[in-house]
Order: sequence, then C-alpha cells, then structure tokens
Amino acid sequence: MSSKINIYLIKYAINSILRQKYKTFFIVTIFTFLVFLLTSIFFITNSIRYELDSTVDALPQIIVQKIKAGRHYDIDVDKVDEILELSGVSDAVARVWGYYYFENAGVNFSVVGIDKYENQYKNSLQSIVNKFDFEESSDEPFMVVGQGVKEVMNSSYFKEYFNFIKPDGTLKKVNIRGVFDSDTQLESNDMIVMSNETIREIFDIDETKATDIVVKVANPQEVSMVASKIKLMLPDSRIITTQDLKISYQNIFDYKSGVFLALFIVSLFTFFIIIYDKSSGLSSEEKREIGILKAIGWRVDDVLKEKFYESFIISFFSYMLGSTLTFAYVYIFQAPVLREIFVGYSQLKTTFELPFIFDLQTLFLVFFISVPVYVAATIIPSWKVATLEADEVIR
Amino acid sequence: MLTPEVLTIFILNSIFGFFSLIAFVLSVKIYLDWDLSSTSPRQYKLEKQSYLAATIIKYIFIIKVPLFLFFIFTLDKISNVLIGAMCGAGVVDATEYGTYLFILKIINLYLFAYWLMLHSVDVKDEKQPYTKVKFGFFIVVFFLFFSELILEGIMFSSIDIDKMVSCCGNIYSSSADSYISEIFSVDTSTLLVLFYGNFMFLVAAYFFKNRYLFAILNLVFIIISIIALIVFFGTYIYEIPTHHCPFCYLQEDYYYVGYLIYTFLFIGTFYGLVVGFMQKRENYNISLLFNTLFVMLLSLYPIVFYIRNGVWL
Amino acid sequence: MMIELKNLTKIYELNTNDKVIALKDISLSINEGEIVVLKGSSGSGKSTILSLIAALSKPTSGEVIVDAKQISKLPDSFASVYRRDNIGFVFQKYNLLTNLSVEDNILLPLIPLNPSQLEVDAKIDEVMKKFEIIHKKDTLVRNLSGGEQQRVAIARANVNDPKIIIADEPTANLDEKLSLNFIEILRELKSLNKTIIIATHDPLFFGLDFIDREIQIDNGKIA
Repeated sequence: MSSKINIYLIKYAINSILRQKYKTFFIVTIFTFLVFLLTSIFFITNSIRYELDSTVDALPQIIVQKIKAGRHYDIDVDKVDEILELSGVSDAVARVWGYYYFENAGVNFSVVGIDKYENQYKNSLQSIVNKFDFEESSDEPFMVVGQGVKEVMNSSYFKEYFNFIKPDGTLKKVNIRGVFDSDTQLESNDMIVMSNETIREIFDIDETKATDIVVKVANPQEVSMVASKIKLMLPDSRIITTQDLKISYQNIFDYKSGVFLALFIVSLFTFFIIIYDKSSGLSSEEKREIGILKAIGWRVDDVLKEKFYESFIISFFSYMLGSTLTFAYVYIFQAPVLREIFVGYSQLKTTFELPFIFDLQTLFLVFFISVPVYVAATIIPSWKVATLEADEVIR
Repeated sequence: MLTPEVLTIFILNSIFGFFSLIAFVLSVKIYLDWDLSSTSPRQYKLEKQSYLAATIIKYIFIIKVPLFLFFIFTLDKISNVLIGAMCGAGVVDATEYGTYLFILKIINLYLFAYWLMLHSVDVKDEKQPYTKVKFGFFIVVFFLFFSELILEGIMFSSIDIDKMVSCCGNIYSSSADSYISEIFSVDTSTLLVLFYGNFMFLVAAYFFKNRYLFAILNLVFIIISIIALIVFFGTYIYEIPTHHCPFCYLQEDYYYVGYLIYTFLFIGTFYGLVVGFMQKRENYNISLLFNTLFVMLLSLYPIVFYIRNGVWL
Repeated sequence: MMIELKNLTKIYELNTNDKVIALKDISLSINEGEIVVLKGSSGSGKSTILSLIAALSKPTSGEVIVDAKQISKLPDSFASVYRRDNIGFVFQKYNLLTNLSVEDNILLPLIPLNPSQLEVDAKIDEVMKKFEIIHKKDTLVRNLSGGEQQRVAIARANVNDPKIIIADEPTANLDEKLSLNFIEILRELKSLNKTIIIATHDPLFFGLDFIDREIQIDNGKIA
C-alpha cells in the first residue's frame, strides 16, 4: 500500500492527456454525453416519482372497488356502513367519479363528484368546498375546473358553461363557477369538480351506487390489516392501498429506467470497444515516449500508475461534467424532450415543474457504471504499453 | 429483481468475471513455469504477464470495496419494495442464497486484501520469493470469487417480489427457526466474558509477540465479536432490548455507525490474521489499534446508555 | 564502481528463424572513475554492451556485475531502480520529449521517487546551471538547437547524480565545435570521479589524454 500521492505523476498524467488533444476531446465528449443521458433519465424519473409519491400520499389509504367478471363495476353505497363498523376504520366515503371524453378536443376530463355535507377525503377537495360555495341548488348545476380544463373549454368556445352529453344523448349544461389550483399540478390539471347529483346525472349512475369507496384508517400501521378485513367482508371487491400504488410506481419506473439502462449498456459496450481499440493502436510516438521513460528509470509499475491516473482523470472528469450538465438540464431547463418519454399520457398533464431532488444513490450508481468500466477498458492497453522493452523502442 | 442498481452490479460483475478469468489463466501459467533465474524468453514473457495479473487483481479489489457498500445500499433500497422487509436483513433472508453470499463476500474481501499484502511484500524483494505462492493462492481465490459472482447473480434473479419476507426483528430473535436462534441461547454474561476475555488474550499475545496465537485469537475474535454485537451491543445502539439486527445501524438513523464498526473490525482482524503469515511490527500495531477502537466503540454504547438512564436494558 | 562483464552473450530473436548474435562471450572489467571508449563500426555490438550495463536488456547468457551486485537478472522494477539511481544515459538521439519544456524533461527521472518540491527544485536547478541551459528552462525542447538539446540530455542524465555515465554516439549529430564542447564536459565529469563509458566511432575521441582505455569491438567480440 503506497504512502503519499505522487503529485508529479498526476501532473505528468494531466500533461499527457492534454498533449493528445484530439483523442482526449473525442473520448471526453462521448463519455460525458453518455453519462449525461443516463443521469438525466434517472433524475427525471426520481423527480416524477417524488411527485407521484406526494400525490399518492394525498390519496386515501384504501380504495375499495367492486369487481365483476374481472372488471371494475359500480359498488353499492350501503357497503360504506358495513365498512365503518370495522375497528380501525376512521372514515369511509363513497365516491362518484369518472372520465368524460370531450370529442372536439380529443381529451379526457377527470370528473369528480362531491357531497357538500360529507367529510372530504382529500384536503384539496375540502378547500374547494369551502371556497366555492356548493350550497346552490341543482337547477343551476355548476362545476369548478382545473386550469388545463378551462383552457381546453375556452378553445372550444365554452367560456361560461359547458354542455355535457349524457349517455342518452341529451345535453346537460353545467356552469363553470371557477378555476382551482391544487397541491400538485400533476393530477389536478385535467380535473372537474361538481356535486354528486350533477355527476350522477351526467354519467347516469344511480343514487344507490358509487364508483368506489375510500377508507381512512386511524393507525397507518394497520392499513394492511384493515384491507384484508374488508376483503374478507366483500369477497367481490378489489382493495388498493397506497402502499400497493407506491410499489407499482417504483416498479414501473424501475422498468422504464431498466430499458434505458439496457440501451445504455449497449452504447457503453460499444464505447468500451472503441476505447480499447484506440488505446491499443499505439502511435509510435507514444511507444517512444514510454520507452524513454523506462530507459531513464521508470518501472513498469510507475508507467501503469501513470496510465491509471490518466484513465481515471478522464473518466472522472467526464462523469462530473456529465452530472453537472444534467443538473442544469433537468432542473433549470426542465428537461425538454426527455421528460415527454416519461410523462406523456394525456396532453393536459404536461405543465408541471420537476422538483429538485439530490439523490446521492443515483450519483453513485452512475459513477459505478461509468468510471470503473472505462478504467477496465484501459487495463490491457496500458499494460501492453508499460511492458514494452525500452531497449527495442529507443534504438 | 432487476432494478438499475442490480443491473449496475451485474455489469461490474461481468467485467470482474472476464478479467479475473484472465488473471486465473495467467496465474496457472506462472504457478507452473515461473523461474526467476531463467533467462529464457518464456520467463521474460511470464514476468510481463505477472504485471497484468497483479494489475487486474488490484483493480478488482479497489472497486470491490466501495461496490460492497453499494451492495448494502442496494439491499436497503430493495427492502422498500419487498413486503415485510424494513432493512437489508430482510432482503438477505429473502432467498436461501442471501446469507451465504454475504459471508462469501466478506471472506473474499479478506482473501483479496491478503493477496495484495502478499504481493506488496513479494515485489519489494529482489528475489521475489512469494511469486509462485501468491499466484497459486490466487488460483484458490479465483474459484471462491467466481462463485461469489455467480451466486450474486442467482440471488438477485431469484428475489420474488410477491413473497413475504421476515423482518429483522423476526430473523434475529431467539424464536427464529434457524441457527441464528442458537446464539441467543448463550447467557449474556458468559458472552461478555468471552468477548472481553478474547480481547485481553489478544493484548497479551501482542506483548508476547506470539504470532500464531495472535492470528488464531483474531480469527476467533471475528466470530465472538459478531455474536456479541448481535446479541448484546446492538441493543444498546438501538436502545431497544429486542432489536438485534446487524444491518439496521448501517442506516442513516444511527449515523451510519455500522460502517465504522465493521470497518474497524475488518482492518483489526485482517492485520491480525496477516501476522500469522508475516510477522512484522506494523501489522501487530495496526491490528491492535483497530481492534481496540472496535472494542471501545462497542463498549461506549452500553456505558453511555447506563450513564444516561441509570439502568441496563 | 567496478563493472564486470562475464562471458556475456546476447542474441536477439527477431522471429523464430531470424536471429542476430550481437555479443559473443564477452568479458570485460572497468574500474571506478575510469573513462572507457568502445570503438567499432555500427552493428559491432557496442550499443548492446551499453544497454546491458544499464540493465536496459537482459543477456542471453553471462553476467553483468556492477559494484559487486549481479544486475543482469534483476526483475524489472529493481533494474529500473538501479538504472535510475546509478546510471546516467545519454542516448544517440537524445530521446527527449520534444513537446515538454527543458525543465520538465530534466524532471522526468525524479518523478517516480515522489520527492518533495524543495528537493526537486534544488536538483534540477543545480544541474541546469552546471550544463548551462538554465536560461532556457521553460522553452520547449523542440525549439532548441542541436547543441542545446544535447545539453538538456546530459543534464537529465546527471540529475540523479549517478555514478556511471553512459553515452551512445554522443557526437553523431554535432559539428566539431559542439563535439569539442562535449569532450570538455566529459573531462569535467571525470574530475567528479564518475565512471564513463562511451560508444563511438568519432575519431575526435581517439587518443585523448584523459581517456583511460580504448576498446575495439568487432562483430560482438573484443578485438
């Protein structure tokens, strides 16, 4: 184990790198780009996942849906009372919601119904109830919409109200009372909130039915236990907990990142070959240089160490540069182009900001994939150079 | 279970596999044909190749150490997705290979470190007396190392998301149905006597400079320390009498003290074992220093707890 | 420094069928402080002798003993250390790194030693002053004249204060004036009690007063 770091050797290595301008520039550019690409993808998915996790945390802990023939069906509202009787359950609310397809603009609105007297299952909905007084009677049905919805409706010339087409083909006019903002932009942009009566009319859902039931559990540790109790009680139901959602999100993201990682590996492998090739094709100049060094007293180990410093400096520099560029790209410029790959489900969901997350583990991950691989590619070429016979070279 | 972290480990393992294979082939050649006094071109070629083999082994070790830490991080991260696991312990337990892999990794760390030590001593001597020995040694190490790579691949591939795993609370308790529960059957005071006693003997062996005794005591010390750590000292780090997990104090909540503990133990016992082969003053010193630091760090927790609370757990 | 060559044979194998026998069973002794000139045409083997004494290559058979130490079979790292500490080699083509400055070139042999800044500066300055190129220390070697380059080569060879100086055809690319200059430098080095071995076919060296011995090498053997 060596003692001090040899600064002169490091300086020589840096000097040597700078002397081979074109080759170095080529390598650094490609490598930085690869690191940049990979890190960007990880940062983007991390941020989106964070957003999604925050969204999920805002959701109720358990969602109960009725399943018939493997598909989602409307659930009976009276099941709510049964659920409320279970110990550990602090609240249960029947929800009516759905997607309304607006053919003109080719977009889906998420329509959510609320009952002004019941406890809202989400704080944001509670503040909507408070802000936009839902006391008004049903002969003037109204709704509150998200920013994205407003814009779409505007562009179809629906400024004060909107005509929903009911399942029987008749129109239902609903006034737009206001526009809301919510905790996270991701999920509220395409949302419409209206009273339960109105939404039941638009989607033709009976009073005794609801889309699903959301359940709040007093003690978060008991969520899975309550979930299994409900399952026992309602065998034809599907229970979704927030934990399940988080796990499935993580898996989706891991999958997507995995796909890109696979692509990255292919490029890295190609890069590996290129590096190997370039390092092996020793110019006579380089051979002569090493020969001279050995002739004046450099040992094989010294040459190897110098070569190692060279490859480490190049790869580490590219790594730092790539990562820094990524920070700027993702968090300052909000990752144009790349984010579409991960976010793009509907046109209304794109205007949100990627939150800044400093994930050390990702940085380590990218480091391990890049730097050691590059250094590995240079092991054999460096060795070949270092073990040249000085004698033969300098004659 | 193919997260990006696992994929990274696989990539590096492939590289390790490829290069260690090269080193293996070279080691065999050198072990069979090395003759420093020969002037044949074949010998000169072998001399050159010994540099390649040594460089590869150094490279693998240098990356292996931080990669091991990364491995632990990865286990922690996976524990978030596995139901029931709250720390890396659950993930290790998720498959039948986990524990073996872990032990194998640690053994390999010791072996590689030892090889490097042997190499540095060999190279300093003009006669290079240990060359054949060290490469022969690597041949053995290679098989263990390659097994580790394969085992790691198998383990990560066979982690089943849908299967419930035990939390460390279950694994490291007296009610577990594995050999781990055996260690809890030992009386705490006996264990402490063994632990501190072992350490005392170590110090004595240090003063008498009895190398074999010192090395063996170090070997025993590894085992006793880990048991003592799990059964007794761990509970004082967590300040909970039933929390025995050896992984949880690697996490942020405990200021990552686990890394410090294990590093001290590793360095201390590694140099202690080395003394058995290479009796040098500095090996003794480093070993004693780190083992002492280890014992002090561990003892600190129960003592501080007692001072603060006035009772033992 | 007693240099002893005992029954040295060196065969270069260019490929399996093509062999060149550079030295045939040569034996030679050189005493400390001696200046020896090896005379002979090119290909006679004199460069090979130099390279063996400098442990730049290993003999096919025989021994090279320097200062009672067998250096011919040293493993590479020890051979390099021996060379670094004991030998100052002035090559025929100087073998300087032309894209580096004078100072950086002279620094090269010191780098593996990992010296302190002070030591480095002291040694380099001393040797640059002595061989009169300190005024050009930051100039790139490729911008120097032939004579100046040679002085850099000699300075580099001396920076570790070696006991043996070896020069291979040192005046081959110099005009008469610079050649004579070089000879003066040799005289001075001899006064420092260095052991000097020169391989040359330049007649300027023959019959000089301070040369202790001239040895003729022909076809790998001492004539």
